[in-house]
Amino acid sequence: MSWRPTVLNVSLLTVVGWALFLAVLTGRGELAVVAIPAVVALVAGRRAGAPPAWTIHRELSTTRLLEDEHVTVTVTLRAQKAVRLVEVVEPLPPRVGLERGSNHAFLTLRAGRESRFTFELRGAGRQHLRLEGPHLRVWGPLGLAASEARHRAPATVAVYPRPAPIRHLPRPLRTQTFVGNYVSPAQGEGIEPGDIRPFAPGDQIRHVNWRATLKVGALHVTRHHQERNADVVLLLDTLSEVGREGETVVDAAARGAAALAAAYLARKDRVGLIEYGGQPRWVRPGAGRAHLERLLDTLLSASVVFTYVNRDLDLVPPRILPPQALVVALSPLLDRRFVRAATDLAARGFDLLVIAVSPVEAARVALPRSPVTDVAARLWALERRVELDRYRRRGLTIVEWDGVEPLDAALAAVGRRWRRRVVAG
Amino acid sequence: MMRLAALVLLAILAALPVSIRPSSPAVTWLATAALLVGGVGVIAWSVPVVTAAGSLIVIAYALALVIAGPAADPLAATALGATLVLLLALVHFAGRARGAVLGPSVVAAQARQWLAVAGLGAVAAVALTAAAVPLGAALRSTTLPVVVIASALGAVLTVAGVIALVAGEGRGERES
Repeated sequence: MSWRPTVLNVSLLTVVGWALFLAVLTGRGELAVVAIPAVVALVAGRRAGAPPAWTIHRELSTTRLLEDEHVTVTVTLRAQKAVRLVEVVEPLPPRVGLERGSNHAFLTLRAGRESRFTFELRGAGRQHLRLEGPHLRVWGPLGLAASEARHRAPATVAVYPRPAPIRHLPRPLRTQTFVGNYVSPAQGEGIEPGDIRPFAPGDQIRHVNWRATLKVGALHVTRHHQERNADVVLLLDTLSEVGREGETVVDAAARGAAALAAAYLARKDRVGLIEYGGQPRWVRPGAGRAHLERLLDTLLSASVVFTYVNRDLDLVPPRILPPQALVVALSPLLDRRFVRAATDLAARGFDLLVIAVSPVEAARVALPRSPVTDVAARLWALERRVELDRYRRRGLTIVEWDGVEPLDAALAAVGRRWRRRVVAG
Repeated sequence: MMRLAALVLLAILAALPVSIRPSSPAVTWLATAALLVGGVGVIAWSVPVVTAAGSLIVIAYALALVIAGPAADPLAATALGATLVLLLALVHFAGRARGAVLGPSVVAAQARQWLAVAGLGAVAAVALTAAAVPLGAALRSTTLPVVVIASALGAVLTVAGVIALVAGEGRGERES
């Protein structure tokens, strides 16, 4: 660290110059006297001494949070000798809101004593919120010299998409062999009563249906439907995106996928994820809280990687995309490659539901508001409706979602006309 | 609070030339212009704009001295210089600190420092003025052009010296 003159030197020099020039011009000694305090200040500003040695420590209250949650940043400074004025600035990345306090502070440090300031940040949208480290500026006497340094302490806070509650979950067509919340047609251990049949050796007494037994005159037992879980695979389209950074259709789709994953996992289902884009990635179906975090981690880094390569879902191993699974695709349906892949899945008998995230609203928000934009958006919406009808005729089940309203509302509308009987797997 | 203090200092500065020659329209207009420009500078916390206002005030002060031709008043000149330094330092600090959190005792420490430097400047001005009185008597016999040339040379050397002082730090930094 070393001292640098500030703009205040130029200001004082200007005043000194004017005063002395006018003193010579007019021959009035008072004007030369006007310059003396400024000259004294300039000389005093030079007596800054060696820049002080200091230590700085920055602490984050958490490194993982959901969208719109807060993280508290605490910056602590300590100097070996007293510092009259030190300025600290923590530069903020673009999609971060300052919720409380300020990332810019002026402090006075006493010798050997700690001084700290805190501020709260809000992560707007899924992102890796990266803080590079605070900038420090020690001010010399009167602000005539400053010494700058940067404390490099990169820290990343993962801001995950917030899983919104979903009540109207699409029901899977087929169930799996593990215990879950879906009533399976298969008979076995369960709560839901099923058929009644004559008693056979090995049947438990508690299953005897006494009413039927008394009526028929022979022992009969009640059978039960099994409660089974299902495999759900979320197929996220990252081939194309529309919209402002942080508000793109991929962001909306990732938010929807997070909500679906949390809701299905809460029902004891196994949930997998396939990111279908320039660099396909996947997460094997699994269950539990740790698995939800794994899915959220993958959704956090889901992004569009441009490619001309046409990748086929045939390459995805069956353990990632089980044939019995319910596939929920989240896509703006803008890229033909994704439409072809989804149509292929439906043709191969996969239980497929496509949530079509509308790019119209995302594009509209990104553009300046004008009558032309409104007309263009309306025309695009009409064209899109025609296109989605064509896809429906090809056998795709499509739910339209604008990416703004809760996904639950869009799914509730489709749930009324898409109720199906669950088939045993 | 800091904006109010800066406006008060600006008003004092603008009033000083007018108080010497209140009836002169030129001085009044210049002082008013300085007040307006300075007001804009204080509202925007802009050091260059306030510097321009300060220069206007010095010009108005010189004009008032020339028109009125009063007896020499080094105390008023010292007050003008010290207040100008205070105003510039205050605007510079407030511009930097805009929107920032100010730690406890920061403003108090700064105010103490500014007042100390301004006071030191005032004392230096008074001391130099006091030293100039016997020097003036000694130079009374010298012809006027020699005095003017010596004063101009002194002024140029002072400015050059201050520039060298300020620029020396930056040069040293580049070399290191």
